[in-house]
Amino acid sequence: MCSVRQYVRLALCATLVLLQAVAQAAGYVDVLELPAKPSALAQRSPLLDVARAGERLVAVGQRGHILYSDDAGQSWQQAAVPVSADLNAVHFPTAEQGWAVGNDGVVLHSNDAGQTWSKQLDGRAIGALLVEHYAALASAEPGNEQWPLLVAEGERLTAEGADKPFLDVWFADAKRGYAVGVFNLILATADGGQSWTPLQDRTDNPQGLHLNAIAFTGDALYLAGEQGLLRKWDAGQERFVAVASPYQGSYFGLIGSPGELLVYGLRGHVFRSRDGGSSWSQLDSGLQVSITAAAQDARGDYRLFTQAGHMLRAGADAALQLLPQTQQSPVAGAVLAGDGGLVLVGARGARTLSAE
Amino acid sequence: MGNMKQDTMPVIADLRDFDTRTGNLLERLVFNHRPLFVLGMALITLLLGYMAVTRLEMRPSFEKMIPQSQPYIQNFLENRASLRGLGNSVRVVVENTEGDIFDPEYLEVLKQVNDELFLTAGVDRAWMKSLWSPAVRWTEVTEEGFQGGPVMPDTYSGQPADIELLRQNITRAGIVGSLVASDFKSSMLIVPLLDKDSATGRGIDYHQFSQVLEEKLRDRYEFAGARATLQADEEGQGKIKIRVIGFAKLVGDLIDGLILVMMFFAIAVATAFVIILLYTRCLRSTLLVIGCSLMAVIWQLGIVAWLGYAIDPYSVLVPFLIFAIGVSHASQKMNGIMQDIAQGTHQLVAARYTFRRLFIAGVTALLSDAVGFAVLMLIDIPVIQDLAITASIGVAVLIFTTLLMMPVALSYVGVSAKAAKRALTIDSNAAQHRGFGKLWDLLDRFTTRRWATGAVLVALLLGIGGFMVSLNLKIGDLDSGAPELHEDSRYNRDNAYITGHYALSSDLFAVMIKTPAEGCLNYRTLVLADRLAWELQQHPGVQTTVSLVNAVRQITAGSFEGNPKLSSIQRNQDMLNYAAQQASVNAPELFNTDCSLMPVIAYLKDHKAETLDEVVAIADRFARDNSSEERQFLLAAGSAGIEAATNIVVREANRTMLFYVYLAVTLFCLIAFRSWRAALVAVLPLVLTSILCEALMVYMGIGVKVATLPVIALGVGIGVDYALYLLSVQLHFQRQGMALSDAYRNAVSFTGRVVGLVGITLAAGVVCWAWSPIKFQADMGILLTFMFLWNMLGALILIPALSYFLLPKQRV
Repeated sequence: MCSVRQYVRLALCATLVLLQAVAQAAGYVDVLELPAKPSALAQRSPLLDVARAGERLVAVGQRGHILYSDDAGQSWQQAAVPVSADLNAVHFPTAEQGWAVGNDGVVLHSNDAGQTWSKQLDGRAIGALLVEHYAALASAEPGNEQWPLLVAEGERLTAEGADKPFLDVWFADAKRGYAVGVFNLILATADGGQSWTPLQDRTDNPQGLHLNAIAFTGDALYLAGEQGLLRKWDAGQERFVAVASPYQGSYFGLIGSPGELLVYGLRGHVFRSRDGGSSWSQLDSGLQVSITAAAQDARGDYRLFTQAGHMLRAGADAALQLLPQTQQSPVAGAVLAGDGGLVLVGARGARTLSAE
Repeated sequence: MGNMKQDTMPVIADLRDFDTRTGNLLERLVFNHRPLFVLGMALITLLLGYMAVTRLEMRPSFEKMIPQSQPYIQNFLENRASLRGLGNSVRVVVENTEGDIFDPEYLEVLKQVNDELFLTAGVDRAWMKSLWSPAVRWTEVTEEGFQGGPVMPDTYSGQPADIELLRQNITRAGIVGSLVASDFKSSMLIVPLLDKDSATGRGIDYHQFSQVLEEKLRDRYEFAGARATLQADEEGQGKIKIRVIGFAKLVGDLIDGLILVMMFFAIAVATAFVIILLYTRCLRSTLLVIGCSLMAVIWQLGIVAWLGYAIDPYSVLVPFLIFAIGVSHASQKMNGIMQDIAQGTHQLVAARYTFRRLFIAGVTALLSDAVGFAVLMLIDIPVIQDLAITASIGVAVLIFTTLLMMPVALSYVGVSAKAAKRALTIDSNAAQHRGFGKLWDLLDRFTTRRWATGAVLVALLLGIGGFMVSLNLKIGDLDSGAPELHEDSRYNRDNAYITGHYALSSDLFAVMIKTPAEGCLNYRTLVLADRLAWELQQHPGVQTTVSLVNAVRQITAGSFEGNPKLSSIQRNQDMLNYAAQQASVNAPELFNTDCSLMPVIAYLKDHKAETLDEVVAIADRFARDNSSEERQFLLAAGSAGIEAATNIVVREANRTMLFYVYLAVTLFCLIAFRSWRAALVAVLPLVLTSILCEALMVYMGIGVKVATLPVIALGVGIGVDYALYLLSVQLHFQRQGMALSDAYRNAVSFTGRVVGLVGITLAAGVVCWAWSPIKFQADMGILLTFMFLWNMLGALILIPALSYFLLPKQRV
């Protein structure tokens, strides 16, 4: 008896070892399957976005790094993340619920304020989402030529695999949100990421320009992107509609509050609109470097940051004010921390700017 | 004087009383045809001297310093041609000590330096980079796409507007830290060298190239012609400083060092001359000793040149050793002959007596030296094997020059009567406990119970203490900079400056990723390269890593208008192809032409053995986990990679070599003494010296490295000579029934002086290496001096003390 059991055990063991060996021989594990490695270097390595989750700060970056800080960016802990793809954006609509998106069409979700994450979607499934959604529309509306094209687009995505990055994410609440990315990639969810619906047909973007950013200004939801792309959500039409763009170069982001909207992008270009995007005035940055991040400071002023690490303040007048800093490094994301200071992330990791 | 000598050799004052048919065949052959023998020796010396003068080359070859069959090195050598980024280039930094680089005067000097280097033979002009190279460009993303131009404005004329534009271009080009120092006080010229001079088709003469750098650049701009300061290896005090690092410069400096070390030979000869003269007080025989030893050196160099070996920083040391060993043997011959002559024997007969008495002993001693050298053949590092071969040749030569030529020459020249008389006086003084006798009396006390116990206890404590210290012995080179040169040499000061002011260190550790053609731009290859780089970066000793992935990330972001979120590796093959195509223009050193090999280069903060071991462990684990049919991760290239491999070999070799050298020496003693107890008495002092030598290395911050391996072997191999001289005589007398104390006393007065002389001449031969500008030679000099002297003391004190315990009368 005993010996038979031992044999079984041995056989099982041997099988396991064999399986392990096979797995090892296969060797390569895709970034979508490989959990991010904990590393002390993560906070000094490229980080691309930072957001508030209540009082907590959550930053995302290359190689699946997600860090959180409960002391306004002084110290960071690394979260458990099931993928090691580069992550590009993060947003928490509530203190607990948050989403992060990135390369390879990956969408991650956390319901514990960013400490642990699970994968909700990756690029391998996006093509099928498009095909399913637009095929249904095509059969419902056979005359519309748009649907077969979008079905074809979905098939192409499936064929190409998970190679389309998401560049930004925004959630209205714990249920409704959007993820946007390159080549007019845009998905929406109404059930907290359980299911996703493509919105490619509702961006007024037939050229398939990159959607670099999605932002809510308190009164409206905007998309900003390549070649001066600027769109505003029209709840009545249930689509993003074109906004008169003051510039034909690319925008990297926008920020605003009711009555004021700033959009920024290539080569130091910044524009302001006080009427919801109907008319624009240019703010002179005096710089030739791209502006890649913005945040509102404790006084309510907008601060803009460049790829070279400059910091600008948008005051009442038409010129942006260049503010001195003790150290300067590229900035890809910025947020107002609980202590009134700013936390910046970029190619060299996270750094803090005290309130004054 | 001991009876041993005069057993069968009566004093013969008249040559006619001597039967020339006595003696062995060799003796008759040589001594009965003296003129012919001397003529033959002279002719051979002339021929070999001619060889040495005409054929001997100085050629420090780095390939010979690396362990050829170590797997990492084989990987490196196989893929060497594909590793352009790790190739042979010189980095020249021009520093403005009175301002920054935005100074028209500075830029003018930089331009002249640039032009001078551009026109220097051997420079691969197409890939040369500096602020004045049109190939050094800035690019910028604009609404219309990329825009760019040379960093140095085309229309530069030194106007403030031009300078301002240059300043802007430098920022846009992102070359701060690579071509421009982070403090803007200096800028760099990266000068790749051709393997072969395009004009002549021959290999680059590094020494000449280095001279050109010194004369045309440093002399002119840094010293403004003040040659004396330049030659003093000091830095210029003027506005401009020229700092040069790189393989070619290092080799140039090494050859300069070699030339200086050869000068030291004259000092070694002069020192030996003084020592022998003090010992004998006889000018003609002293000259003869020096002459015969020099003859050995000429022979050795001639044969080595004939066989096609070159002088490198290791083999340059062989003549010193051969000379020193030669001097000590020749002195013994002279000593014997002098004593016979003093007793009235004719000088020819005296020479033949000495030959009879000492030829076998001499050959035995030389054989034990040869064992020390021969064991070095086990080390898989060509430069050490060359050292072993050339030194063995030298030892063989000594048989002719000192064991045969010396007595023959003495038979013609004789010794001065005064000196002979003096030798006799010293001996009789010793017998009456005067002069040297007092010293012998002191040593003799170590055969008594109290003194023997004391000596053994002290030795034991020293041994335990030394062993504790030696546990901290490190492998490899411990200082920063080029390990071949001193830490405060001009080269290493320049290196420290450049490491401190530019982003990348000079300790490169590279893992090569080998794939089929086009495989380096495969998505998976790039992802794995990125993972490897990341794992390497986790080690605190890794400053940063560079590979094709860095370029791919940057170019991908660039093709998305510089969006930092697209600084990534995309799966899309078209995008990767585009990135690789761009990288082949901007950073061709990151992969080879058919894209089948790409290095992942880690820049290390230092090249300490622990750092290297740990980095190797990380890379090795990664390589084992991720290598597959289509993609192999191969360790290791780069200066630190080679050093890591060398450390692995050295650590292994150190153990095996110690094992074999002690095995050989023990066997030798067993055969010579036919008693394991005696062998133990001979070997234990050597063990103590070996332990203390390791402790000394810890104390002096010398790691176990290629250069210290020969020291350990030679220290033991030559060190056993002393025991052979002393113990064989002591045993001879003990076996005749003498008490230990008397036997030792006789042995010491017979060969003790010679042991002292040998120790001192050997030490004098190597001590001046300590001043060599080549660091490992200095280390070798210090350690060998220590071993030669300490072995001598160990023999004189511990042999009687140990004999008291191990060789009591009934056990002999």
